[in-house]
Amino acid sequence: MTAQQAMPRPLLWSALFIINMALIAAAHIFDVIEQPVPIILIALNMGLLVPMTRAAKARQELKGAMSPALRVYNRRVLFVMVIYMVAMIGGGNLSHLVADGSPAMWALAIAPLVPLMGMIWTMYRYLQEEDDEYLRHRATTGALFGLALILVLGTIWGFLEMYGLVGHIWSWWVFPVWAIGLGIGMCFQRAKGEEE
Amino acid sequence: MKNRLKVMRAERDWSQQDLAEQLGVSRQSVNAIETGKYDPSLPLAFRIADVFELPIEEIFLRDEA
Repeated sequence: MTAQQAMPRPLLWSALFIINMALIAAAHIFDVIEQPVPIILIALNMGLLVPMTRAAKARQELKGAMSPALRVYNRRVLFVMVIYMVAMIGGGNLSHLVADGSPAMWALAIAPLVPLMGMIWTMYRYLQEEDDEYLRHRATTGALFGLALILVLGTIWGFLEMYGLVGHIWSWWVFPVWAIGLGIGMCFQRAKGEEE
Repeated sequence: MKNRLKVMRAERDWSQQDLAEQLGVSRQSVNAIETGKYDPSLPLAFRIADVFELPIEEIFLRDEA
């Protein structure tokens, strides 16, 4: 690595992703936008996860934290994210054409579960395929950080909602928040380990 | 757990990348072990000992009580 080489910054993409999500949520809560606009905007915002993943991969290469299993994992994650976006955008665009409670509506609602299961399988395969025990340890700790984040946010939001302090939100936010927590957890460990 | 990895690597004029390639791990793994942020498993510790052709206890040191 040379000093002149620009270091990719996946955290900047992450910050942009989170800010966009917050703006979409605020616009929806204050009735500035109505369905299916929020879900389509969220799905489009998920597109930022692609450059974010690419930046993270480039950074891992430059920092010497890349392995063959991690390259395969990154490719699988990108593929799963694209499927997730297609499922969300497709659902958002088609939902008003489908009768409430019909089998087609069930299919639209369940479709995002396919890429979600794909993401869980991808993580499982990575932990199985990674020969580098430190990278495996880092991924496991990052996943636990993501889990801790959704447990804390989900629990506190549930109580705030119960006491009428905040509005109701759909629970599918847990997956993106877990993914963000995973990324933050891994970046945090990398920052601690960067010395040479 | 403390270790003498950095000194021993310097004695042989190896970079972290050189050592990582011999061990079949990432450079960041070597960095994490060297700086004491991660303690290697017993199999990896034996591999490190094999690369340096030394017994494990000459590379990894017990923490002071």
